[in-house]
Amino acid sequence: MAIQVRIPSVLRRQTNGEDMVLLDGVTLGEVLDGLEARYEGLRGKLRGPQGEIRRFVNIYINDEDIRLLSGPTTPVADGDEVTIIPAVAGG
Amino acid sequence: MTSDDTRRERSTPPAAAADIPARYSRQVLFEGLGAEGQARLIAARAVLVGCGALGTVQASLLARAGVGTLRIIDRDFVEESNLQRQILFDEQDVRDVLPKAVAAERKLRAVNSLVQVEGVVDDLNPSTIGRLLDGFDLILDATDNFDARFLINDYAVKNGVPWVYGACVGSYGLTFPVLPGETACLRCVFESAPPAGLSPSCDTAGVLGPIVGIIASLQCAEAIKILAGRRQAITRKMQVIDIWEGRQDLIDLPPRDPQCPCCGRGVYEYLQGAAGSDSVRLCGRDSVQINRRDGAKLDLAEVARRLGPLAKVEVNRFLLRADIDAYRLTVFADGRAIIGGTTDASVARSLYARYIGT
Ligand SMILES: [Zn+2]
Repeated sequence: MAIQVRIPSVLRRQTNGEDMVLLDGVTLGEVLDGLEARYEGLRGKLRGPQGEIRRFVNIYINDEDIRLLSGPTTPVADGDEVTIIPAVAGG
Repeated sequence: MTSDDTRRERSTPPAAAADIPARYSRQVLFEGLGAEGQARLIAARAVLVGCGALGTVQASLLARAGVGTLRIIDRDFVEESNLQRQILFDEQDVRDVLPKAVAAERKLRAVNSLVQVEGVVDDLNPSTIGRLLDGFDLILDATDNFDARFLINDYAVKNGVPWVYGACVGSYGLTFPVLPGETACLRCVFESAPPAGLSPSCDTAGVLGPIVGIIASLQCAEAIKILAGRRQAITRKMQVIDIWEGRQDLIDLPPRDPQCPCCGRGVYEYLQGAAGSDSVRLCGRDSVQINRRDGAKLDLAEVARRLGPLAKVEVNRFLLRADIDAYRLTVFADGRAIIGGTTDASVARSLYARYIGT
């Protein structure tokens, strides 16, 4: 078991097309560290220089908005699903 | 008309069922709406900002549904690459180089002559927004960029007008309604726009017609509920859909954020953007729009005579198009221009200065 991170289609160029990435970590921040280490192209797209979640990206752990939890320090557990919802501009 | 007037007007007793035109019978039969709901739609005023992919679907659905007054604002003209997803337009519109707002108005008049449709060829920015959006019950987002959406959000929250956000790229799209004073505003959900290059755009990722149709349709469903006064039925969630993978998520919106600059603190940073920037890169278009700040009208025929010896020039009632070297200049009568063939604002500005004037 591990934490499942669902990659939205608009960010899959950065993950070589992977739509689901399995990662370990105790907090959401650690999971994102692992994600960025594996896919350099995602660096800067989800978090700013201080590790803060970008304000144009929403992240959910099992459908709970992490901004209503503890942000990057929110604890995660095996089997949790992390969902990334980016704002997009087209139309 | 202030929003208070609008509310009062909407609460007046609607017309009797017998007065509802028969063309709306299938909608009147729908239990959630009925004759009373239809009467409210007929009395309602909606404004669409943008008439591209989302806007053509929205305009078509709302005109058919009988929303009594529709204003459609768009700054662009019809091109061949629009036809894949912008369902109101056809090849003749491309040949005629029609502004989208003009082409849409013509089509919609033929669709439903009972509806007042007004196409407005203009750019939504802080200096035009009051003139363009005042007096409507609902704003529908059919724009293609973040600045316009944040601007709509500021205006809507400040004036207490509901609006429906919707956006797509690739096979992915999302939408949610913003009910000022009740639900989270756009800035509660996405506080700021991504810096250029950090967000996938239709420039790089393309877009499929079906996702646009779905998102625009979902927006219209909320629009119909809002305009018909069916507040309990409004989907107060974020709907996120990816049609390539067959995923649909219904996500709770965050509560309103007391620290939100817009709906929490009442600081309308986008509305205060004054004249805004004089140039905007257009999504997916290899083009830059140049705004003329002084608002002086151009004499298109005069410009055409001047450019005649230098370029291949076409002119119609609404705009002038000149092909010069590798660039295509499309100039509207209000002085606004779309410079094709570059995404570099400084190149576009210098072409504008050289060929159109300063
Ligand atoms: Zn807000």
